[in-house]
Amino acid sequence: MTLEVRSVSFAYDGTSALREVSAAFEATQLVALTGPNGSGKSTLLKLIARVFAPLSGEILFDGRRLREWPAREYARHVGYLPQDPDPAFPMRAIDVVVSGRAPFLGRFAWERDADYDEAERALELCDAAYLASRYLDEMSGGERKRVFLARVLAGRPRLILLDEPLASLDVSHVQQFSRLLRDIVQRTGATVLYATHDLNWAAAYCDRMLVMQQGTLAIDGAPDQVMRPDVIARYFGFQAEAVNAGGRDWLVPRV
Amino acid sequence: MGSIALTSAPARRARLAGPLLLLAAMLVVALVVAGTFGAARVSWSAAFAGDPTARAVLFHIRLPRALLAALVGATLAVAGATFQTLLRNPLADPFILGVSGGAAAGAAVSTALGLAGIPGLVPLVAFVGACGATAAVFLLARRREYTDPTRLLLSGLVLNALFSAVILIAFALSRESDLTAALRWMMGTLFGATWSDVILLASLFVITTVVLITIANDLRMLTFGEDDAKSRGVDVERVKRIGFATASIVTGAAVAVSGIIGFVGLLVPHLIRLVWHRDFRFLLPLSALGGATLLVLADTVSRVILPSAELPVGAFTAILGVPFFLSLLRRGR
Repeated sequence: MTLEVRSVSFAYDGTSALREVSAAFEATQLVALTGPNGSGKSTLLKLIARVFAPLSGEILFDGRRLREWPAREYARHVGYLPQDPDPAFPMRAIDVVVSGRAPFLGRFAWERDADYDEAERALELCDAAYLASRYLDEMSGGERKRVFLARVLAGRPRLILLDEPLASLDVSHVQQFSRLLRDIVQRTGATVLYATHDLNWAAAYCDRMLVMQQGTLAIDGAPDQVMRPDVIARYFGFQAEAVNAGGRDWLVPRV
Repeated sequence: MGSIALTSAPARRARLAGPLLLLAAMLVVALVVAGTFGAARVSWSAAFAGDPTARAVLFHIRLPRALLAALVGATLAVAGATFQTLLRNPLADPFILGVSGGAAAGAAVSTALGLAGIPGLVPLVAFVGACGATAAVFLLARRREYTDPTRLLLSGLVLNALFSAVILIAFALSRESDLTAALRWMMGTLFGATWSDVILLASLFVITTVVLITIANDLRMLTFGEDDAKSRGVDVERVKRIGFATASIVTGAAVAVSGIIGFVGLLVPHLIRLVWHRDFRFLLPLSALGGATLLVLADTVSRVILPSAELPVGAFTAILGVPFFLSLLRRGR
């Protein structure tokens, strides 16, 4: 898998959201996309997921321009999880997850047993097999997140785009979920690109961190390049101190 | 849900056949009931034996009326299921979106202009009104290639207010002799159904259903939101255009032949979902059968409940539907 974002710009109704963003990604990476609110994280994910098309610049997946990929074929390789997925009607977890197989189905086809096997495998991968026949509205926030991650994984994507998957999770679930993402990268060889505000958690688990600022990509590097008080003050407007523990720097807010 | 195997693993693909057969059987029973009961005492055996009165009553009055009721019910329910799925809103139905209001306004204006006497004109204008209202609602909600579901619902609400005003003004200006027929139509009635109505609506209904089946797999993906559907390769704007247009046209035709019959489009898909919890591919055939059954029964009751008069069938869809709906709502999700 290769993904190349080449000086991509985007605007919503004339309001610029991304300016000349460039980055390249390879297989088997866990990449955190960070930056303050409104810095363009979600927009970048949506452009890669083909929710929107860039206004200028281009995105290449496996060396081929996005607009040259047939939409459904592209969807078989790339899984995207929006920020607050919320089905309009009550659904069981297994039905939610198996709907992730949609790009593989023919126009009139129903899911076959093989699709349900994939869905169950994905639920297991997310430690959510026990949720299969439960309804979404009977689940905790953490359980729902895992079901929706399983839905993305049901298509065995090689690139996984997650928009703030850790938002509104309690600390133990953040840890669980971060480990899960790490695990998925290791076990499936996929690259996971996820937007997050939890810098310490991201630094602890990621191979690489991107920092967005006002629609541009400010930093693209290893976690230790980001986890520095001067960087944090400059890009996040946040006064922090670095505290060394377990051989790496953690950021603690300055009170 | 007897059709689903009871195994330790969670039920996988639900079988459509069981619910489909159940609802089809209910529809057949409803049609037989509709044919059997009525003001005139006639029997099926007499009709089949060649009795001319029985034949006239059953084959030229009750049967076309019952079949038209089934088709109108199926149409409204399918349109409701489609709008609800398209807009991700369980409250969407042809009435809230202004489709029926447009039809009613068209009918009221043609009545006020004294054109109600021309045969076939009121339904035609109603049909044009329904399609016009749909186009207006869709255009109002559209901004830069994108149709926002909330704006769509709000546009429908606002246009409905306008249509109510138009209807009131038109009625105020209408001749009293024209008003009775117009009012009867507005209340919703299947009185005077003919075989040509049945054939017209049946052909449109079949076309609509075929079109909706071709987009059903994409349409159900909208349940998870438009961004999500787009990321899964669904051409969202195309699905919305096709779904909205077909559901509106067939609603326009149903309203034109039957007048305003409320509640079916809202109620039936809800009931189906409450019982079976499945996606649009399930909802489409089951809503059609459920809507048909509901309206056939409601129409039969509205014909026979009072010996002296026929009551508006739209009132009975509500009276039959509300308690059932409330009990299901109380029982579960």
